[in-house]
Amino acid sequence: MRRLAAISPEAAKLGLHVGQKATDAMALVPELATADAEPEADAKGLTELVDWCVRFSPAVAADRPDGLFLDISGVAHLWGGEAEMLDDFRARLAENGLPFRLAIADTPGAAWALAHFGRDGTIAPPNGQPELLKPLPPSALRLDPEAAAQIERLGLRRLGQLMDIPRAPLGRRFGASTLERLDQALGRSAEALAFRRPPTPWVARLAFFEPISAPEDMTRVTQDVTAKLCARLEAEGHGGRRFEVAFHRVDGKAPSVAVGLSLPGRDARRIARLFQPKLETVDPGFGIESVTIAAYAVEPVSGRQVRLEAGLDAAVEDGLAPLVDRLTNRLGPCAVWRAAPFESHVPELAVARDPALGAEETTVRPWDREAPRPVRLFRRPEPLEQVVALLPDDPPVQFRWRGRVHRVQRAEGPERIGEEWWKGDVGDVSVGHVRDYYRVEDAEGGRFWLFRAGLYGGEGPPKWWLHGLFA
Amino acid sequence: MSDFRAKRIAALAAKIAAIESGARPDKGVLPFGDVSLDGRLAGGGLPLGRWHEIVGEGLEAETSAAPAAFAALMAAPLARRGEAVWVLRRDDLWAPGLAGLGFPPERLIQVCVRDEDEALAVMEDALSTVGVSAVFAEVEAVDLTAGRRLQLACERRGGTGFVLKRRPFGGTGRTEAAGSVSATRWRVASAPSAPPAGEFGLGPPRFHVALERSRGGRPGEWILEAQAAYSWEAGDVAHPLRLVADLGDRELAPASERHVRHAA
Repeated sequence: MRRLAAISPEAAKLGLHVGQKATDAMALVPELATADAEPEADAKGLTELVDWCVRFSPAVAADRPDGLFLDISGVAHLWGGEAEMLDDFRARLAENGLPFRLAIADTPGAAWALAHFGRDGTIAPPNGQPELLKPLPPSALRLDPEAAAQIERLGLRRLGQLMDIPRAPLGRRFGASTLERLDQALGRSAEALAFRRPPTPWVARLAFFEPISAPEDMTRVTQDVTAKLCARLEAEGHGGRRFEVAFHRVDGKAPSVAVGLSLPGRDARRIARLFQPKLETVDPGFGIESVTIAAYAVEPVSGRQVRLEAGLDAAVEDGLAPLVDRLTNRLGPCAVWRAAPFESHVPELAVARDPALGAEETTVRPWDREAPRPVRLFRRPEPLEQVVALLPDDPPVQFRWRGRVHRVQRAEGPERIGEEWWKGDVGDVSVGHVRDYYRVEDAEGGRFWLFRAGLYGGEGPPKWWLHGLFA
Repeated sequence: MSDFRAKRIAALAAKIAAIESGARPDKGVLPFGDVSLDGRLAGGGLPLGRWHEIVGEGLEAETSAAPAAFAALMAAPLARRGEAVWVLRRDDLWAPGLAGLGFPPERLIQVCVRDEDEALAVMEDALSTVGVSAVFAEVEAVDLTAGRRLQLACERRGGTGFVLKRRPFGGTGRTEAAGSVSATRWRVASAPSAPPAGEFGLGPPRFHVALERSRGGRPGEWILEAQAAYSWEAGDVAHPLRLVADLGDRELAPASERHVRHAA
């Protein structure tokens, strides 16, 4: 059943309320515009807002699903006082188009109650909570809805009435949680908030008593500092894709070397070995005082595979990934690839280069295995000379390529491949921009993929090209 | 008498094979599925965990189209068992063509290197990696030292190497090394195809294949045809190469004895 999860102020004025069935709401207000609730997106937005609020106070706690607490003890004077701070906060939130209600009080509980049920922008004076809380309903205590409804059913509609009841009967009648919430709101018991914790950067550092400069020392400190970072990565269940080691020299310069992994990893020995050949390029100058390592593109990695059974996954982690890393770090990232299909009928565009490992699944159709395609495709088609074709649409009976004349015995074609006219400029489009591909075999058995660019009867005779070689 | 001699010879051949292989474990063979071909190879098929040389002739020594296709066809069953690595000097290998021959292109990692030494080093590295079942490399020449290193790398993990001899365009080519430690050497050229009677166009690709050296076996020459190439079945056949014709049978022994030997 679909229910309303949140409503706009306009909808509230029309008598709609949260929790109402969507069909009922539509019956009441036929022109109601609805959108599906996205709790995950809301949670993400709240996290972003919490991060942004650090500009006001370092201690920010999210109050899911739609609120947040700021601990402003000792920071309000930076804005000139609590009222000024509240105004600034209000202005900035309004600028971002966020609807909100604000309140400042001694305790999180009181601030929550005032923000949700009091006047917007209430600033409770120190120790002035009880007076302000008295007229609020019991649900302002952050009770679960059943408990709050129970209290109201007994005729206790104001918090003031609740406060007048002696503690012992109150606790016995409504439970310890009600008592605790009341105490928290009035500051009689402390409340622990889960404040936002900024992520610790993935770095490690080693400092030395004496500056070092010998190559073997640099190798060793690289291993040590890598091991230090990798131990932390492993403890927290993460792996990095890129690592950078910086050598901080005595003269203040910090040359660095970086390596990349095809899959996120944290195997210290493997990573240190990737750094090994690059250390020669680091000039230690008058000595290196300290060394730091940073991991980038860090993402969660499942626990280490224990080699009980040598499955394919284990093989990828142990064998292929290090190989691909060694090759990409030595030859460059463009030199190692896996050919992947790309939807284009122009031959030279039909192959995309995927990374050798960790490419995402594609939905692109694989190449048509029934269409004969050459094993070798020249990046630039090679021109053919002395091409003899009997009829305009016939394959050639003879051509000359690289100084040798080939007599065609068998031929297939033409397979017409047009240009991708939708990509270019309108003015360049022409029916003459077509290629007619032929697969021909000469007397010795050599099989060639050649094409005629353009049509007969256009400007000048069409040219013939060799594009690839079959087996 | 002749029966006794044949048995003695078979026993001696087995002894020699045992000495040659030394302590290295047997990695198995990849049969072609035809007795006249498999019988010429030690163990009854293309030995795995070794490296093989494939050479082309004339222009093919530069373009290396037929040798590449032949190697891909030969190794297609291997590539389905693990990953394959192809080391290139010039990247003109085209994956759609390999897919049409039945070689799984999604299992192939292509590596473009800058020079000859790097190609051999990458090949050696890839051969000694777990999970890599076939490694192809396009190089000009493999000297004895490099060949020995490749062999050791093959033995480490049981990977199988295919060295495609390829000259740079317009180059004169290096002098061939005197010896080689490769398990087999194949000379491959395209052969005219034979379309089925009454059909137009080209038939399935054919190769003129000469087995020039075969360690523990004997040389031979054949015409082979790619099975199921450029069809939806490409890649599903057990033996991608089919024997069409026996050429130049240089065998001296009669056919009956060949069978005896093969069984031994």
